[in-house]
Amino acid sequence: MPYPVFKDNREFIKALEANNDLVTIQQEVDWDLEMGAIVRRVCEKKSASPYFKKIKDYPGFEAFGAPLATYKRLAIAMGMKPDAFVPEISNEYVKRTTGDPIKSILLDKKKAPCKENIWTGKDADLFKLPGPMVHDGDGGRYLATWHFVVSKDLETQAVNWGMYRQMVFDEKTMVGPVLPFSDMGKMFYGKYVPKNKPMPFATVIGCDPLAGVAACAPSPIPEDEFTGMLMGAPVELVKCETCDLEVPAHAEIIIEGEVIPNLLIEEAPFGEYTGYRTSPREPRTVYRIKAITFRNNPILTVSNMGVPTDEGQLLRSFSLGLEMRKLLESQGIPITGVFMLPESTHHMVVVGVKPIYSNIASQIANLVFGSKLSPWFHMVIVVDEETNIYNKDDVIHALATKCHPIRGIRKYEQSVGTPLYPFADPEDRKWSRGAQVLFDCTFPLHWSKSDLPIKVSFNNVYPKEIQEKVLQNWKNYGFKD
Amino acid sequence: MARKEYDTFVLTDLALIPEDKEMELIVRDLTPADRRYKYRSTFAMAMVSKSESKYPDLLWVRLGRGQLQEKPWSIKIIKEVNKFS
Repeated sequence: MPYPVFKDNREFIKALEANNDLVTIQQEVDWDLEMGAIVRRVCEKKSASPYFKKIKDYPGFEAFGAPLATYKRLAIAMGMKPDAFVPEISNEYVKRTTGDPIKSILLDKKKAPCKENIWTGKDADLFKLPGPMVHDGDGGRYLATWHFVVSKDLETQAVNWGMYRQMVFDEKTMVGPVLPFSDMGKMFYGKYVPKNKPMPFATVIGCDPLAGVAACAPSPIPEDEFTGMLMGAPVELVKCETCDLEVPAHAEIIIEGEVIPNLLIEEAPFGEYTGYRTSPREPRTVYRIKAITFRNNPILTVSNMGVPTDEGQLLRSFSLGLEMRKLLESQGIPITGVFMLPESTHHMVVVGVKPIYSNIASQIANLVFGSKLSPWFHMVIVVDEETNIYNKDDVIHALATKCHPIRGIRKYEQSVGTPLYPFADPEDRKWSRGAQVLFDCTFPLHWSKSDLPIKVSFNNVYPKEIQEKVLQNWKNYGFKD
Repeated sequence: MARKEYDTFVLTDLALIPEDKEMELIVRDLTPADRRYKYRSTFAMAMVSKSESKYPDLLWVRLGRGQLQEKPWSIKIIKEVNKFS
């Protein structure tokens, strides 16, 4: 049974407008920094999504900024109430994505909106698309900031959708980091490069919102089937023009081409999800394009990575945390929930647990640090069930009061990291080396009950009848909140 | 006629950049005739000078994290280098 979700970005834009979460900008906006600055300010102020109707130098093109930078937009994308709480959205996401995967279906090209315009040969020119200069000081214009790249494993034919940023170098060339531990990195550097074979790719820009969520999710389920699970219906795909890859038929813009083995070109710097320009300008993976297909009046999606909160931080935190929840639940760990704080730029995860045996926090940390999810975060905070994992104040209180500064902190050295960690030494960034840490905010089980500190809060230290009386009379006392 | 302007990212100590010698570098075109092509990158054989006036075109310099240096250098582009043939 399909959920009440959107088959493309255009329907999603209309839904945001209906929920007063869209600002349509009729005034012409410059792709050179102005558009990026608007989207950045939107993220920092948590304002409505900007929908740019006129882009300087690019008549006929439109752009849609910060498509999923808030939980409200995520709830709308999921077809839920706009004011749904994070735990509700989380439970719905887990419910939808733990059933059977839903296979995609293939549409005839004539029925696929993304084939309304086809540029090949000399016409396939990246500068004919309004790629924004997102931040001043970036290494180039980034066409692909909220998108995904489709690739296929040379041996298993497994298909991957992943978000790999792409900087325009010249008319036919894009460049970007493909980290060796990523799914596409393992395919390309592990299988195509040793055989000196170019790898076909298709960059999908302006997909439906849930395909974007799926492309961010570190799930073992193929992302197109994962999208189908989130939608409750099969995704409609269509064949590419120049290779045998398949892409969402309702996407706005598709860029097809090949990833070139044994050639690297300098890419970056770029304002990244950590809120800094951290990873160095250095030789990175090269994409040569062969074709561009797009809908009439295509709408480019634009994300602006920087200080919290943008969609990269929010959705990656959301899905990373929930994949960890699935992992811990699959191992029978008595967790009460998992929440990754988007403000931590998906570096810090909070795990709630019933501490029914000693060193359960270490067991949790060992599991999540040992999983394929681990390069993307480095701090695990384990709290007991009296801490609300979704409440930052409560988590900070637990961290500051329950975590012993020596016994409560366990360091994990020599981990896999990313070049994007601002705290890492330059040499560690170069080699994707990291380190991780556990903050155990549970009281030891061997403490006697009489030694256990009692949390002093309204909910905890007053009898039920007093709480109810105070709540019933709150406005009568004169309080307005 | 106005001078063309380019920029480049320097990843080493600026003092180590050789002046007045042919070298290969990546430059971005900041003043193309068609504005849609602004920031187009190319490999170029060129000579550079830290003097703003020595060569025909201006070259702005950025460091590895995009930090723009206050004063431009100058550049003479000898030819574009095609890495994809």
